[in-house]
Amino acid sequence: MDVKCINPFVESVDTVFQTMLNVQPRRQKLKLGNGQGNGAAVTSLVGISGQVQGVVVLRFPAETALQIAERMLGIEVSVINAEVVDAVSEIVNMVAGSAKAKFDYDPPLELGLPTVVQGSDYKVKYPSGTTWLEVPFESDAGNFRMELTFESN
Amino acid sequence: MKALVVDDSMTIRRIVIKALGMAGINDTAEAADGEEAIKTLQGDTFDVILLDWNMPKMTGIETLKTLRGNGNKTPVIMVTTEAEKSRVIEAIKSGANDYLIKPFSPDQLAAKVKNVVGAVA
Repeated sequence: MDVKCINPFVESVDTVFQTMLNVQPRRQKLKLGNGQGNGAAVTSLVGISGQVQGVVVLRFPAETALQIAERMLGIEVSVINAEVVDAVSEIVNMVAGSAKAKFDYDPPLELGLPTVVQGSDYKVKYPSGTTWLEVPFESDAGNFRMELTFESN
Repeated sequence: MKALVVDDSMTIRRIVIKALGMAGINDTAEAADGEEAIKTLQGDTFDVILLDWNMPKMTGIETLKTLRGNGNKTPVIMVTTEAEKSRVIEAIKSGANDYLIKPFSPDQLAAKVKNVVGAVA
């Protein structure tokens, strides 16, 4: 995976969080990921296919997921419910959609429908040899992590 | 003034409905996919449709083409993450009246709606 592919996704996280949540995320140091939950309470992921293919994964601790739903919906939530799941699902959808447009392939890359996983005892399987890159973020809505695998066909 | 909001995300439907209120449109209906939208439009009329692209069962672009193929001329604003120029062109050629890329602010959506249906507030 070309590390430069990370940049459109990082820029998209910035745009989505600022526009939809009024939050400025602060990118931390890039590292290798492993596709595992690693303590996340809610994970939203979406596949991208076309001339390149991959998966975009956002992993949120419970507090961050609740904050995201509260900020998007303007309501108070205290437990991970359908509203929270839907909110984080839409966040990963917007991040992936916004990023794929920056690559500007013709025909455009295709987005899958987002999937949300609750709990952390899981691993996202992808073809062997796939490299996962992880970008941690800090924000006023809480910490979260983005993990990506993205390869040319 | 009445609007139909079509998006598989309940969160986005709520955000759009809130923004429509800013544009002076408080009479709204919701559909979670294109099939549901088509059914809703068979029994009711609307002044504007806010239409997502990526949805299960029937995508937004399929829905738009179906509506225009059936002679439905209700103004449609695509509200979608699909931001590539070719997508915008495809939507406009298929009969969309305007196009709003997610993420968006409520002000942006309200402005698009006012532009398409006129100031109603």
